[in-house]
Amino acid sequence: MNKKTLRKLEPYVWIAPSVILMAVFILVPILSVFQLSMSDVSKAGRIKGFNGIANFTKVLKSSAFGLVLKNTIVWTIAVVVISTVLGFILALILNNNFRGRKIARAIVVFPWATTLVIQASVWNFIINKDYGTLNTLLLKLGLISAPVNWTPTPEAYFAWEIACGIFVTIPFVCFCVLSGLQSIDTTYYEAATVDGANYWQKLFKITLPLVKSSLTVSTVLNIIYVFNSFPIIWTMTKGDPANHTDTLVTYLYKLAFYNGRQGEAAAVSVIGFIILLICASTYMIYTLRKGDDV
Amino acid sequence: MSQPANAVKKPVSVKKTILRVLLYFVVLDVCIITLYPYFAMLCTALKSRAEIFSANGTILPVTALWSNFIDIWSRAPMAKYMLNSILVAGGSTLIAMLCGIPAAYALARMRFRGQTAFLGFVIVSQMFAPVVLLIGIYKVMMTMGLTDSIWGLIFINAAFNQAFTIWLLRGTFLGISSEMEQAATIDGCTRVQSMMRVLLPVAAPGIVTTLIFIFINAWNEYTVALCLISTDTLRPLTVGINVFNGYNIIEWQYLFAASIFAIIPVVILFMGIEKNLVSGLASGGVKG
Repeated sequence: MNKKTLRKLEPYVWIAPSVILMAVFILVPILSVFQLSMSDVSKAGRIKGFNGIANFTKVLKSSAFGLVLKNTIVWTIAVVVISTVLGFILALILNNNFRGRKIARAIVVFPWATTLVIQASVWNFIINKDYGTLNTLLLKLGLISAPVNWTPTPEAYFAWEIACGIFVTIPFVCFCVLSGLQSIDTTYYEAATVDGANYWQKLFKITLPLVKSSLTVSTVLNIIYVFNSFPIIWTMTKGDPANHTDTLVTYLYKLAFYNGRQGEAAAVSVIGFIILLICASTYMIYTLRKGDDV
Repeated sequence: MSQPANAVKKPVSVKKTILRVLLYFVVLDVCIITLYPYFAMLCTALKSRAEIFSANGTILPVTALWSNFIDIWSRAPMAKYMLNSILVAGGSTLIAMLCGIPAAYALARMRFRGQTAFLGFVIVSQMFAPVVLLIGIYKVMMTMGLTDSIWGLIFINAAFNQAFTIWLLRGTFLGISSEMEQAATIDGCTRVQSMMRVLLPVAAPGIVTTLIFIFINAWNEYTVALCLISTDTLRPLTVGINVFNGYNIIEWQYLFAASIFAIIPVVILFMGIEKNLVSGLASGGVKG
């Protein structure tokens, strides 16, 4: 009897360290953010009392929020969609047999390994009007005769930030798809060739269905990473001018740590959660259903 | 390359040749574009301040100023930043593995009530980046007195990498047959012994991949360190190098020289695990 109870408890001992670690440093902060979002918080961060949805209405009513939300959606969709398409194409290319393939793969992984803050600094330097190397390069090549201002408007700057986001996201997609491609049995293609299928038919009828699961995993993870991506925008523009390049995460960082409006910042966090939770549950449903199939 | 040798002698069609040339052209372009920022970084790191801002800019430095790479160590506490990065990345890797290995083992080898719920929480926790929880994290750190400390960063990085650790390791463990461990148990080994002596050595490639991946993640982490650390000498590299990126003066040559030091170890590590990591990602994803 005693031994049986011990056996039953054993798994919980094995997972205990992990559960404690995640409870203290992830779950407690989550609860704390929810509490703050419904509290009247002083500038110093002391909770003065419960105030219901006041923080949320304040956030939703503020003139900046609409713009920030729009930016977040544009940022997430543009980066995820474009990098998924380009990463997929790049994977198809790198999946061919050619001389130097190993080197090419090693080079493509570079942006994935580099910390975002450094990537963003370099791109900021490259596109600078006065001394950026993009202008120098184009001037030397004779493609332009005078330095071009690459960031005349906040929208243009935001577009460069998106470009930088795409640049660093492509490798992840590419390698997820590559792993899917390499697990495809080549006999499928041979059979299709015998049956007279052309390249596009093989691409859409064999390749795409078989890498779908890798593509879904990479897309869902990317939505989360990109939505929460902070360093690129923070390094390049800090969300300026006047929230024109802010996304939810840079906006809430400024609210909390620059303006001392922690209650409202927490409300922005919660709004972010809700959006992400929709993604998370979609992901959960997908993986669990997938688990049943196997 | 995998084609048999006699295939080469066959007449190659024009279409095939064009496609080949096109392939090399595209691959070369991709490589050039990918490497361009690193090339620009290196060139700038070797220039003098005057040269960077000169009206007649050149791509390559006129005179390579290797001293920039030495100057940064005296102009900022670079050695401290480097040490902090190593401590944060190493510490969080250690803690994440110590907590993650038993949890992944339990998920792969045992059945228990709440297993699905735990796995669900692990997956969902991955949806929350530290930046969305920053206010909450700050509060927790305040109560624990860890706001301006390396330990705070270690715990946060370990916790937020837990999902990935468990996910990758569980996939690795599930891919290994449990027969050997069962045999070891019959021979009188305890569970811990059979895991340590039988499973872990076989799972070593997966473990190393996971280990390096967490190390890189923690090494590259920026947001939490930016928010929690206020003492300059406690900053890791990612935040510290921005002393050269001031509001009024940007010392590009120093910023990039320092950046290169921050990048090199990670890129080397990453190239080593790239292949395993991707297959790990794929198997983890499929096995959910």
